[in-house]
Amino acid sequence: MKLRKYFSLTRAGIIESLQFRLATVVMIFGNLLYLIVVYFLWKAIFASSGTDMVNGMTFSDTLIYLVLATALFNFMEMYTVWEIGRNIQSGKIVLDLLKPMEYRRYLFWSYSGTFVTQFFFTFLPTFIVVAIVTHGAITFGFNLVFFVISVIMAVAINYSIDFLVGTICLYTESIWGINIMKQVIVLLLSGATIPIAFFPEPLKTIVYYLPFQSIYNAPLTLLLDGNSKPDTTLITLGTQLIWCVVMLVLSKLFWKISLRQITVNGG
Amino acid sequence: MENMIELRNVSKEFKVLNRREGLKGSIKDLFSRDYKIVRAVDNISMNIKQGEIIGYLGPNGAGKSTTIKMMTGVLEPTSGEILVGGNIPYKNRTKNAQEIGVVFGQRSQLWWALPLIESFKLLKDIYQISNSDYNSMLALYQSLVDIEPLLHKPVRQMSLGQRTLSDILAAFLHNPKIVFLDEPTIGLDVSMKAKIRTLIHALNKEKHTTVILTTHDMGDVDALCQRIVIIDKGKMLYNNDIEHLKGFFGSYRTLKIRIDGELKQQAKVIQEELPDFSVSADEEWISILVDEEKATVMEVLNQLQQSHEIRDMQLEEISTEEVIKKIYEEGVE
Repeated sequence: MKLRKYFSLTRAGIIESLQFRLATVVMIFGNLLYLIVVYFLWKAIFASSGTDMVNGMTFSDTLIYLVLATALFNFMEMYTVWEIGRNIQSGKIVLDLLKPMEYRRYLFWSYSGTFVTQFFFTFLPTFIVVAIVTHGAITFGFNLVFFVISVIMAVAINYSIDFLVGTICLYTESIWGINIMKQVIVLLLSGATIPIAFFPEPLKTIVYYLPFQSIYNAPLTLLLDGNSKPDTTLITLGTQLIWCVVMLVLSKLFWKISLRQITVNGG
Repeated sequence: MENMIELRNVSKEFKVLNRREGLKGSIKDLFSRDYKIVRAVDNISMNIKQGEIIGYLGPNGAGKSTTIKMMTGVLEPTSGEILVGGNIPYKNRTKNAQEIGVVFGQRSQLWWALPLIESFKLLKDIYQISNSDYNSMLALYQSLVDIEPLLHKPVRQMSLGQRTLSDILAAFLHNPKIVFLDEPTIGLDVSMKAKIRTLIHALNKEKHTTVILTTHDMGDVDALCQRIVIIDKGKMLYNNDIEHLKGFFGSYRTLKIRIDGELKQQAKVIQEELPDFSVSADEEWISILVDEEKATVMEVLNQLQQSHEIRDMQLEEISTEEVIKKIYEEGVE
């Protein structure tokens, strides 16, 4: 019974996102353009290197990775920072705070409907196309199960980071700069724009100690590496789980403290 | 009757940045910030009983919204105590939220892209309203206003009036003990205003919901409120019945008469005859502001008839609006 109010928000989100057909079309078209750019960029990179293999990845490895990363990005990006910032500026946040539900959850579940539509409209088609075109670059086995588990945790980590950054808006009242900064850091350090294999050595090590790689690199590696050793899989999922908990606690705590600050000092 | 809302010596202070002027000042602000304390609400106490409709009035920036935000739990008072339905709102915001409904005239809590009925269904699940309560509420709404054509219309396509109406219905949907209405009739036309007043009145009667209404429209106050609270600059100026308010400045009535001759000239003559009252004239009427504690309107009229031939007359009660204007401008003695 308790879950019902959350799923009700999901349902509304699905209906809501289906209302904007044109926006979906424009977005798919924009993605296509982005993928074309990615294709030629990496073709050039591989051509200039003179070898088939760069940093242990072939051209098609890289492309498959990046196409799926883009699809995953469309699925996971929640624009939470924007949403929080806009709500604060317009004052709508007062109405949201007066819902008998934690704001963190309210925001997440309000968005969750878009997960469903994005999954069916962008991620799944991309996935199928990649699977067919590449003839078996994606193995169908237990890796799919790990991938799903991994993506669920990735969504949680991504949301927590977004929410954490969004909370800063309570202090700054401006969103643009903060959002851009977050976007660049997350997309770069998570391996969403450049596979982490291409990072120079010290940076690579650092990145593995940061939470961001758990968002894109971890699920994609689990998916594409069809026959990885069980302990690598376990380490990847374990790292994600740790970050999941850490970020959740951090973002919750920061919000609680910040909100208290606001209710005491006014905003 | 039980008190639904209790405020005891509630104050709220804000730290506000003192901004310096000009470019140089803005740059200075980056390095040294100098704050001043503003008292938005200053030592307010009041009790509100169940089922009352309270008009909460005050000029812009008087501290009305701050008080409402404290009662809803979004803001914490600097000092003093607030109890809303037995809860301390800011300590237990989520629980308090279940008991209250809110309408802010300028923004909507409805889902913009969805038909109204979907918003209602969502609220039903969020507030965990039982099927039977939900259905009887919808039936009640249907008996009060014709909501059928609204239900399937996306909120973004609604007119402001329809949207406000829908927002009010949404705020009452979970049958809250208290509903806060912040300028619900702002920007609406006369017939829509009347419709919304009737609706609020009916819902209050039917469900015994306590309603806190802030407004600048005295029509709302006259139509709905038994009691009004006026605040200005954070201080409470008045907290009593509307009837009391009118008698507050003595019982004034305006007597308007029309007589032959040049009115401005005649007004001066009458002023000499009636030194106690203020007399003025416009193109059509001579107005005499009669303080009934000094002489009744009839006595004044009798006296005037002895020396003038009165062609026509009118009697005006002082309106709530005028009284409140006087309070805003002059305060309470």
